[in-house]
Amino acid sequence: MDSATNRLIRYLFLSFLAIWLVFTIFPLYFQFITSLKPVAEINSMVPTFWPETMRPENYAGIFADPGSLKSLIDSLIVSIANTILSLFLGTLAGYALARFIRGFAGENIAMWILSNRMFPPVAVIIPMFFLFDATPWGTDSYFSLITLYLVFNLPLATWLMMVFFRDAPRELEEAAYLDGFTPLQTFFKVTLPLVFPGMVSVAMLCWIFAWNEYLFANLLTGTTVKTFPVHIPSFTSGSQTLWNLVMAFSMVAMLPPVLLFIFLRRYMVRGLSLGVVKG
Amino acid sequence: MSLKAESVSPDWFKHKRADKNLIVNPVIPWLMIGFPVLILIAIVIYPTIWMGYHAFQNTNMMKLFYQDWEYIGWQNFATVLSDDRMWDSVGRLIQYLVFGACLEVLLGTILALTLFELVKSQLTRVVVLILLVLPMMLPPSIVATLWKFLLQAYNGAVNHLLIKIGILGPMERIEWLDASLSLWSLTMVDVWQWTALPLLIVYSGRVSLPPAIYEAAKVDGASQFMVLRRLTLPLLKEIIAIAFIIRFMDAYKFVDKVYVMTSGGPAQSSELPVFIAFQKGIREVEIGEAAAYAWIIFAVAMVLITLFLKYLKKVLKAQAFA
Repeated sequence: MDSATNRLIRYLFLSFLAIWLVFTIFPLYFQFITSLKPVAEINSMVPTFWPETMRPENYAGIFADPGSLKSLIDSLIVSIANTILSLFLGTLAGYALARFIRGFAGENIAMWILSNRMFPPVAVIIPMFFLFDATPWGTDSYFSLITLYLVFNLPLATWLMMVFFRDAPRELEEAAYLDGFTPLQTFFKVTLPLVFPGMVSVAMLCWIFAWNEYLFANLLTGTTVKTFPVHIPSFTSGSQTLWNLVMAFSMVAMLPPVLLFIFLRRYMVRGLSLGVVKG
Repeated sequence: MSLKAESVSPDWFKHKRADKNLIVNPVIPWLMIGFPVLILIAIVIYPTIWMGYHAFQNTNMMKLFYQDWEYIGWQNFATVLSDDRMWDSVGRLIQYLVFGACLEVLLGTILALTLFELVKSQLTRVVVLILLVLPMMLPPSIVATLWKFLLQAYNGAVNHLLIKIGILGPMERIEWLDASLSLWSLTMVDVWQWTALPLLIVYSGRVSLPPAIYEAAKVDGASQFMVLRRLTLPLLKEIIAIAFIIRFMDAYKFVDKVYVMTSGGPAQSSELPVFIAFQKGIREVEIGEAAAYAWIIFAVAMVLITLFLKYLKKVLKAQAFA
């Protein structure tokens, strides 16, 4: 290949990258400027690509509805509780699978646990609805959401922790035993520090998945407990959607996962690829 | 010949156990794994069995309330399988999987390799990578709401952007969410959000390839194209396959954006099988039929999951002994 065609191909790919970058950013940019516009400007026949009137008060306006703050807090409660539970159970099971239960049984239990991660939720939700209905808390409760989110987070946490524990060199543990550490001491002082980055990655992923979850929350809850994705459609006045408030609220709600990703992306790659890519 | 870790180093734990100097009581690992397994049985296996039972009953809302459903054999499955609405949705699912999942992996791979190979500055690379991967971290409900807003026909930003660039005439509008385009729009939104996953995975996979082999290729005078075809792609093959499978399985159960953006409409034009099962079960409370739907979806998923897990196991094993 001569260098002219070579250069042409390079520019072709680079311009594709640039176009894709614009395609990716434009909706987010538009979301941001919409969150700063007054309603009248949003409803005009021709949308403006830079706000004619700045209205940063929108961001204060979303909290005029006390439900907004409550929905964010509800989301926080559900996602943090679920993350702690997933991480705790996943670490225990992952350690058992990585160190003690090996061979045929271990492989198959691990595979079965991970298979739940890809399980279509449709087979779960209807029976769980009636099951939660029979508990004293009812379907519309923190309990039901925190439990149901385990359907996708617990398998992920268990599988990933297993992969991380397998990577942690066993020799260090053996050395610790020989130096007279008890099993618990070894676990907390040697093994856990080794897999700590892995735990960060698992916690972040579980938290983001729980924070972002919409389907279960929409179908099961909505009155007593209302996470933010369920709250978004309530920014209306009459039959009109108040897009500026919707967008401002979305900006606030998507900020935590975005920031987490930017600062901790190194940790997340491994988890997102189910342990295959050592990022 | 493959070398197994166990055969190289004696199992120290087993040895200690034989010494009666127990590291742990052998029951403890089973307790550690018992809790998660029990929870998963309660929240996944129990519901599946419940659905399996009701798939053979004529359960609906009233019958469930009075608890007087009765056994009707395979009738629910017959109803589901003879329903045109279901077969139409299967066609849509295939279209969505081909143009959604496949396109995402293809584009993600191209973008990741372009970014790594052709962008020289480290800082630019990181910034571009973060920007490109951002959509993946956003809540699907927000993404769907945002795109519903952008795709409005009359004063939506996308149509007006197309007018500005001159692709559309000033009076022309594309009805992004009408019956003929709604599924394509959903696919586009999905590609917008999830191309990031294969991109990130392939990019990180490329970063972790040892530079030494590329030095060697350079010394041998291989052209960049040759290096890509003979070295990079074969080495990344498995990683790309895993990215594809993860996307495929997610796309198979994809339903949240359908709920927010189109609710399956207009005129059922964007219904996917999972969405219909939800509608049957939650809105129409035809539990029996929904259960039959769910079981068919579940059975197909199990086949796919089993195949996938076998492959994943193989890849991880190969990595461990590489």
